[in-house]
Amino acid sequence: MHKLLVIALFVWSASVFADDPVGRVKTVTGDAFVTTTGKKVKAEVGSPVYQGSLIETGKNSSLGLTFKDETMVSFGANTVFTVSDYVYSPADGKLKFGSKLAKGSLNYVSGAIGKLKPDAVTVGTPSGTIGVRGTQFLVTVAE
Amino acid sequence: MKIAIPTLKGAPAGLVRGAFAGAVTVALAGCAPSYYVDREGCPAPCPPESYVVLIPSPDGSVGKVLVTGGKGEQSLGKAGQAATTDGQTFAVDDKRIKEDFGAAMAALPRVPVRHVLYFSDGVKLDPASDAEISRIVAEAKDRPAVDLTIIGHTDTLQSAEFNDRLGLKRANRVAELLKERGLKADSITVESRGKRNPVVPTRDNVFEPKNRRVEISVR
Repeated sequence: MHKLLVIALFVWSASVFADDPVGRVKTVTGDAFVTTTGKKVKAEVGSPVYQGSLIETGKNSSLGLTFKDETMVSFGANTVFTVSDYVYSPADGKLKFGSKLAKGSLNYVSGAIGKLKPDAVTVGTPSGTIGVRGTQFLVTVAE
Repeated sequence: MKIAIPTLKGAPAGLVRGAFAGAVTVALAGCAPSYYVDREGCPAPCPPESYVVLIPSPDGSVGKVLVTGGKGEQSLGKAGQAATTDGQTFAVDDKRIKEDFGAAMAALPRVPVRHVLYFSDGVKLDPASDAEISRIVAEAKDRPAVDLTIIGHTDTLQSAEFNDRLGLKRANRVAELLKERGLKADSITVESRGKRNPVVPTRDNVFEPKNRRVEISVR
């Protein structure tokens, strides 16, 4: 009985993870990819992005995406970015935008999460962390 | 009624212009600042290859960014102010921003818009809000892979359960009308907050037209 319950919970949480896009690709030039739970697909306008998705752009390429809370992020060439933690549930105050920029360039524009709960927004880089207080900024990380 | 999100207004291409109206001081005094590095294709003085720079939001306001690394925390509060995670702060000019971030900035999606529609009773839209449905459809046509969130709200008359259902009916009604009038969307998410998120807070069991609404985020 216990075992069954655990499996049921796991399946339920997995389906929430997999079925619910947190954002969508709105602009792409050149070669860009979205990898979610190990599956890598070529990014196109409309491609869904999930919590945990890894976004990559190639040489002379770029990509822009808009999240559910209206946060926008866009990337120049040779970028690797991960949506590590995204929660947008304003009804019960659960808000989180955790991300990592491993390399490349990023343009960030705050959405509702950055306005309602600025502390909840972070962009990690290989050498530090950027915290946001409702604004727009740019980051570049060398390889 | 159309509400553009205040900090997201305007075209991204205009972001850099006017960013440096105020004089920006270079943090390090004396001879050539140590943060100027020799970068390929970048004539000196040149910022390091990895840095963060604050620029104004699309509405012109400037927020704040905290950069934390091995040498503590740097706070950036001025447009054009930049920092590295190893504690250096410096100014970056317009031209350098375009060189380092032009591609990323050009890839920024269109700024999302929000609409609020009001209901006179039940799922019947106010005439003005009904007319706005067609404007939303027209505007959404120009957006790539448009996705929407439609959230229904109620005033505090009746029970929580009743209002959760009514909020959902309102949101679904708006989704139907949008589709009937030709909206083509990649994704529409419909939700209800019932009476839990009033725009005008009231006691329970109070009639309040401003709370009988549906909020639409068009992205």
